[in-house]
Amino acid sequence: MEAIIVLFLSGIIALFLGIYNQPKLTTIISVIGLIGAAIVQHYPLNILPAEYNLLEFNQVGNGFVVLAILLTLLIVLSGQKEFLEEKSHAGDYNALLLFSLCGGIILIGFTDLFMFFLGLEILSIPLYVLAGSRKGVSESSEAAVKYFFMGAFATCLLLFGVVLTYGATQSFELSEILSKTINSSGNAMLYVGMIFILASFLFKVGVAPFHFWVPDVYQGSPTVFMGYMSSVVKVVGIYAFIKFFHMAFGGLYDFWSTLIAILIGISMFIGNLTALVQTKFKRLMAYSSITNGAYALMAILYPSALSDSTLWVFMLGYGTSVVALLTISMIVNDDADEIASFKGIGYRKPLIGLVAIAALLSTSGIPPMTGFFGKLMLFSSVWSYYPWLIVFALINSAIGVYIYLRLIMTIMSKETATDTKEVIVSISQTIVLVLSLLLLVAGWLMLLCWK
Amino acid sequence: MPAALSITQGLTVDYYVILSSILFSIGAIGLMTRKNMIVMLMCIELMLNSVNLLLVAFSSYFNQGDAQIFVFFIVVVAAAEATVGLSILILAYRNKRNIDADLFNNLKG
Repeated sequence: MEAIIVLFLSGIIALFLGIYNQPKLTTIISVIGLIGAAIVQHYPLNILPAEYNLLEFNQVGNGFVVLAILLTLLIVLSGQKEFLEEKSHAGDYNALLLFSLCGGIILIGFTDLFMFFLGLEILSIPLYVLAGSRKGVSESSEAAVKYFFMGAFATCLLLFGVVLTYGATQSFELSEILSKTINSSGNAMLYVGMIFILASFLFKVGVAPFHFWVPDVYQGSPTVFMGYMSSVVKVVGIYAFIKFFHMAFGGLYDFWSTLIAILIGISMFIGNLTALVQTKFKRLMAYSSITNGAYALMAILYPSALSDSTLWVFMLGYGTSVVALLTISMIVNDDADEIASFKGIGYRKPLIGLVAIAALLSTSGIPPMTGFFGKLMLFSSVWSYYPWLIVFALINSAIGVYIYLRLIMTIMSKETATDTKEVIVSISQTIVLVLSLLLLVAGWLMLLCWK
Repeated sequence: MPAALSITQGLTVDYYVILSSILFSIGAIGLMTRKNMIVMLMCIELMLNSVNLLLVAFSSYFNQGDAQIFVFFIVVVAAAEATVGLSILILAYRNKRNIDADLFNNLKG
């Protein structure tokens, strides 16, 4: 709770400093706010009386909050160069990212449907604005339009599901809904409500059959905010998905688990097979995020997902590699966004090459990287519940290795692209690259901190 | 509760469920078939209001206040969403000089 207050206040201050045209100061304030929020979340002060506290965080929830804050910090730092180019809006971008993160934290800690709904909306609404923040570019506004209508439609589905669930159980509290659903099976309104909520979640995290907006929106939005959407929003959204279905509909596990398992299987294949033929880098990353989101969602299939570190490690690996790759894309690529412009960048800038290789190896799940440990733990946890799904996931990992190794070959090829822009790495981007390299190579050591 | 009785007198809550489902479906079908984005925005408002109607009906039927509070939340969020949505539409209009949803097809592949 204190973390939200800290983030909100620093967002407000950043917004006001933006009015007075102080872009650098805004950055400093938002970085301080993010670090402060992470500290306050990890060592809570408990200044608020317990009855005002509608959110609760267990150890895993705390871990996810810190992860979301960490990823946002990396994104804020990596986007500074673009923010500073457009001086008059630097404050707005920083502030909107912080406000959206507030919603994310609410979405991790919710205990009833009020906070859940508010968190989801606070997370989404700033992102509609950020997706369209390149005002003169028609792709950006197209992305904003698509994201807005898809998001608003998903919200409506969610609300209709919530109200039907309320009609069947007479409560908005997750624990009471759980106790009612265990006893009263066969209530049609409850099942319809659950299907609506499921559909809206699939929309929000971009899992088939509701994934079609993801590539368009990701390609059209500015790269920084695409980084936020594909890392923080995925992390928070999938955690909330799992929490909601375990803590409210846990009694109906047999009903929804098979359905979700089939959808996960489909969306892994859709993401990977479409990624094979992409020539645009951001579109490739979007399809790769559909596949990786499907892997992460597999955690919903085993009952102890909310009390162990499996999903956290997977998300650490995935989120960091997304942020690292998109930072490199911001440094190297221009608006055309072709993969071909990455040619030979690993030789011209060794740091970029090193980070890119680490990120791609981690996403494809090669042993010393964080992504490998995440995948290993995730697959072995789900194995005893849905073995056929793990077979699918392993086939897809093999396809994924092909996709990512091809990217590594492009980055490390001897010949360089003919007409690339000059590669300048700013200080904040160097910090992001080094930090994400550390997290990708040694992030799994953080497992030792878990009890 | 007399107030609750007068609302549901002769009408069970099922009628409200059916009415809101019809309103919700009209909104959803309108969102998928109409091309003018202002009309699409109106369809979203219609869907949200069908939810509000059902929440109030349940609130009166169960004799609980929570659902009415939820309605306030939804109204506030819908206002925020409409604000952002309309400004996105203005942005889109400036770039395309049109708000026909079919024209927004540059991103594909």
